[in-house]
Amino acid sequence: MSKVSVMEKYLPYILIAPSLAYLLFFIGYPLAQGLYLAFTENGAFSLENIEYLLNSPFSKFWEALTDTFLLVLVIIPIQVAIALGLAMLFNMKFWGRNTALYLVILPLTISDVAAGLIWYSMLSTNGFFNKLLMNIGLIKEPIYFFGYEYRPMEFLAIVLTEVWRATAIVFVILFAGLQMISQDHIEAAEVFGANVWQRLRYIVFPMLKPSLQAALIIRTLFAFQIFGVVWVLAGRDIPVLAGEAYYEQVQLRHTGVAAIYALIIAAISVTIGYIYIKLFRAQYLEEGG
Amino acid sequence: MRLHSGISKTVGIAIAIIIIVIIIGVAVYMMQQQQKPTSIIWASTQLNPPEEQAFVKGTLLKEFKDETGINVEFVALSYDDLATRLQAEEEAGKVTISLIGELHGGLDYFASKGWLEDLSKFGSLPGRTFPKVLEDYSKLYGIKAYIPWMTATYVMVVNKEAFKYLPEGLTEEDVIKGTSKWTYDAFLAWAKKLYEETGGPKVGFPAGPNGLFVRFLHGYLYPAFTGAQVKYFDSDDAVKMWQYLKELWKYVHPSSTTWDAMADPLLKGEVWIAWDHTARIKDAITSEPDKFVVVPVPAGPKGRGFILVIAGLAIPKNAPNEEAAWKLIEYLTRPETQVKVLENVGFFPTVQEASAKVTSGPLKILAEGVNNQLSTPDALVALIPSLGAKGGDFKNIYITAFQRIVLNNEDIKTVLGQLAPELNKLFQETGAPLPPPDSKS
Repeated sequence: MSKVSVMEKYLPYILIAPSLAYLLFFIGYPLAQGLYLAFTENGAFSLENIEYLLNSPFSKFWEALTDTFLLVLVIIPIQVAIALGLAMLFNMKFWGRNTALYLVILPLTISDVAAGLIWYSMLSTNGFFNKLLMNIGLIKEPIYFFGYEYRPMEFLAIVLTEVWRATAIVFVILFAGLQMISQDHIEAAEVFGANVWQRLRYIVFPMLKPSLQAALIIRTLFAFQIFGVVWVLAGRDIPVLAGEAYYEQVQLRHTGVAAIYALIIAAISVTIGYIYIKLFRAQYLEEGG
Repeated sequence: MRLHSGISKTVGIAIAIIIIVIIIGVAVYMMQQQQKPTSIIWASTQLNPPEEQAFVKGTLLKEFKDETGINVEFVALSYDDLATRLQAEEEAGKVTISLIGELHGGLDYFASKGWLEDLSKFGSLPGRTFPKVLEDYSKLYGIKAYIPWMTATYVMVVNKEAFKYLPEGLTEEDVIKGTSKWTYDAFLAWAKKLYEETGGPKVGFPAGPNGLFVRFLHGYLYPAFTGAQVKYFDSDDAVKMWQYLKELWKYVHPSSTTWDAMADPLLKGEVWIAWDHTARIKDAITSEPDKFVVVPVPAGPKGRGFILVIAGLAIPKNAPNEEAAWKLIEYLTRPETQVKVLENVGFFPTVQEASAKVTSGPLKILAEGVNNQLSTPDALVALIPSLGAKGGDFKNIYITAFQRIVLNNEDIKTVLGQLAPELNKLFQETGAPLPPPDSKS
């Protein structure tokens, strides 16, 4: 047993040790702490927090769960569709393309709360949008976007803000993916008589899949953490999971309940990530092979 | 080279030793210097945000030290931390805190435990008059438990434009002075008239998730309609109150459920009449002092209920340097000091002489409004109950009642019937006394 083979035996472990330590410290420790907070009461195991979460008349868990999923289901498809359209548009060459590119990406630099505040002041009863419509005589009374009675409008405002703010990240990833597709493939397809749709269907989409996967994972995971925008635009009229976690902790001091919310968001994120990877991987491997 | 290194070694060591000796000497000297003046610890749950602490340490305590030579260490604590520390110190008989700055509720609890010194032994504070309400509340369990230090409250702000739409029988004077005609019914009529004649709701409340609307429910409407905050939570009077609020809500700006503070909606002109904490409307008044007036809240059938947040200064039993602590109390209650506190951190004076010394325009508008509210003859002062960590659950009960009754249109009696046991449970679990005015009636 020479030194070399011992070294070889342990080298992989040594190499992954830093990452492992990182994961243990930044993921493992908070996770254990979260579980402890969620399932103990005065040091003993307890389901009191779960009981409160699911059954208390003061808990808005079910509403928050439905509303979060609803927001994700509405926002993500719109974002992907717009981003894909934009990416294909920008993949062509036209005058002023670079300037337009910067303008499209600009909202990415704005924080979610700031974006929420911008849209709040635009859509409020005395805001720009209502003033404009009233001045050109389209409406006589302002359109109400905010308030418990106008929850559908609040929902719309949240979708608008999120689409404006976060479509850019999807766009950037898809655009980068599109640019990596070699023009040769498309030209070859053209030579064989493939029309526009066929070129998209059989050349562009399959080759865009890795980018699409990355974009979807990033956007969906962030969408489940949606909080700032909702908080600014709708308060707790439209409860969301992250917002309820914040409210339970800061306003009600129910640390255990807040921890459960955080764990639920984490569980959803892991599940969704897993589904995406499963969904996209099979064909991706075929391509490689 | 050799010469150089030889000298440098010996000389180097010598220099190093000399420097070390000098440093130690200076440090010892400075520590002795620092130990010379009297030093006391002032533990406070108030003025804890960084900018407020900077004002306390950089301005208030610096001037106090220049004047008296007493060094004060300001320790910012949460209520829970203060209670734990005080309990430990009192039980061990080794008290380090000389002065406590806390809200009435907490001091009430400390006094009930016998942890506070009777301040009447220090005599009176000449040249300052405390309103009767404050004098009465600061006497607890047979002792003068604390000296009223600062107050805060919630008031109404009216855009002067709204006075053009006053309902019949109500004058501007009635509203500003808080006469018997300034009632919740008159308020409803005004809100309705504003809605109809300006083409939209002009009344707003901070009913967002971080807003303080809940204080309006338990500390204003409940006392005004039922005479108590908690006691008659599901009484017939309470049902009438909720019916009133449902009616009023028709003329309240619907975006209220998203507002956390009223300064912005007031400045943008979205609402003309708003209710909020003085600190949260200060911005509107300082930006446009000519546009707004601060007025007392309306009165209900049982009186003009409003919350007074009272912060007091108390000396723990067996505290070190009691005399120095009393000197600090004397300094903090001087009218000049109190005006400085108002100007810098927005808490209101507790001594009447201070109000006269407020000179700057916007603050005067606020101070006058607060003073008018305090001196209305039908004033029914409510104090926030001290439930510690359960304070959030207390608020949540009233907010839930509001959401279900007013926003979701559920049956009033059913909702109140379901929530009342939860409310009683809170007070039983914590053992907290019912807050005034409940405890008086």
